[in-house]
Amino acid sequence: MGNYGPKKLCTLNALIERIPDDTSIALGGVFLHRGPFAAVRELVRQQKRNLEIIKTAPAYDLDLLCRSGAVSKAQAGIIAMEGNFGLAPWSRKAIEKKEIVLIEHACPTLIAGMRAARYGLPFQPIAGVHGSELAALNNWKAIKDPYGSGKEVYVIPAIVPDVAIIHVHEMDEYGNARVFGSPFWDRVITRAAKRLLLTAERIVSTDELRKQPELTLIPGFMVEAAAHVPRGAWPGSMSGYYDIDYGAVENYLIDSTDTLETHFNDAPEAEAQTATYASNED
Amino acid sequence: MTYNWTPFSYLVINLARQIRPNERTFSGVNSNLPMLACLLAKRAYDFHYTFLNVAGGVEAEPTTIPHSSSDPAIVVGSPAVFDQEDFYDLSARGGLDMVYLGCAQIDALGRTNVSAIGSWHEPKVKLPGGGGAAVLMPTARRVVTWRTEHSKRALVEKLDFITAAGNLQTLVTPIAVFQKRNGRLALESWNPQVSLADVVKQTGFEFDAALATNTEPATARELDALSSLDPDGAFESEVRI
Repeated sequence: MGNYGPKKLCTLNALIERIPDDTSIALGGVFLHRGPFAAVRELVRQQKRNLEIIKTAPAYDLDLLCRSGAVSKAQAGIIAMEGNFGLAPWSRKAIEKKEIVLIEHACPTLIAGMRAARYGLPFQPIAGVHGSELAALNNWKAIKDPYGSGKEVYVIPAIVPDVAIIHVHEMDEYGNARVFGSPFWDRVITRAAKRLLLTAERIVSTDELRKQPELTLIPGFMVEAAAHVPRGAWPGSMSGYYDIDYGAVENYLIDSTDTLETHFNDAPEAEAQTATYASNED
Repeated sequence: MTYNWTPFSYLVINLARQIRPNERTFSGVNSNLPMLACLLAKRAYDFHYTFLNVAGGVEAEPTTIPHSSSDPAIVVGSPAVFDQEDFYDLSARGGLDMVYLGCAQIDALGRTNVSAIGSWHEPKVKLPGGGGAAVLMPTARRVVTWRTEHSKRALVEKLDFITAAGNLQTLVTPIAVFQKRNGRLALESWNPQVSLADVVKQTGFEFDAALATNTEPATARELDALSSLDPDGAFESEVRI
């Protein structure tokens, strides 16, 4: 067997301990789908502060972090709980009360910034944006095609997240990771961030991944650390594995400290985390 | 002729009627009504069109209809996954024929606000944001929007903020269908359960109604398809008017 380098597996607790306060974090997934939500809850448990969250379509994740006072800045294209849940109440309040700074993007302009990072460029041209006041709001510049077509093209400055956190379906102990269903924007995000942390539903053997390497979205050499976190996208969905837990989302949205505590206790990773904390205290 | 539109059936069926044969049509996040319209068109109309959606679905044939329009359930049955990078790039190069984009406010020029009520910096209400609208509205060939509330605060003379502008063609509300003509929204047809005067009274901008007619009643196939998609009325109850 080959030498695949260092193993990346650690506990969820240890994974999130790698993230200091004042970090910009790109989160994978879209709305309530395949978000690294157990990792987000662990950010709250570890009482992180002054985080910047970068995600095209945040929902529960940004809302929970705002509710917990962990965020000082967000860059996003659309913030909502989606479906029949409407607006994300705590992130909305945090923005209206200026508890956090919002950089309002269109989803693809946020990704254009991360594409610039991915390509190692200071900015990224993008189609569209014309006629939108987001351009003036964010001071985005348009430049003339230097090759003479006469077209004006908006250019978005590079966005380089300090860390990206992605939740994946399958991963080996070296961090080689597969995502089933849509990768959403996660290919760009994982290439744009300076550091990459993963959580995974299942741990599989490297031999298993070698049978169809083209199914691996993220090669392990790019991954700094990773944790095995079954149901790590709860209360959201994980394509092919489980659906949104609508009851849990409804309970989360009830405005009381009790329901938030219950929500954390109900989280699938709670038992494992309690065990970890207990062993740390020994 | 009898008319028995509900606000829900009027919205979904008239959104579905904007889909054209052989076109590539896209339904996005936060878009349950367009998602239902796309699925309805597949069931009620004989022509082919390519149904793309934000969950990555391509010609999906979902077995359950999710209450989140970005749910993996609307990838089920797809022979391919066409992800975010793919469908935005498709639109950028002129390959997306029609896209549904939501709005909180819309003006007579078909520009939309999904960013804030009041000023952006001191909002009365911070709205969710436009998602991909600022990029899709100028790049997709045709944009269709909808509003579940037909009122002067939704259909406005002046937007509080311009989130997106460009190729908006159609606005559907529970009582009217507008099409852009000579750069402005004009009334194409209205729900005959209300009067034309009601439509005028509830609209914040002036519009041309010279060519407007009563909206064609729903066909049996359209109604059957709609009830097959929402057998227990769960989606209908989500439409708060």
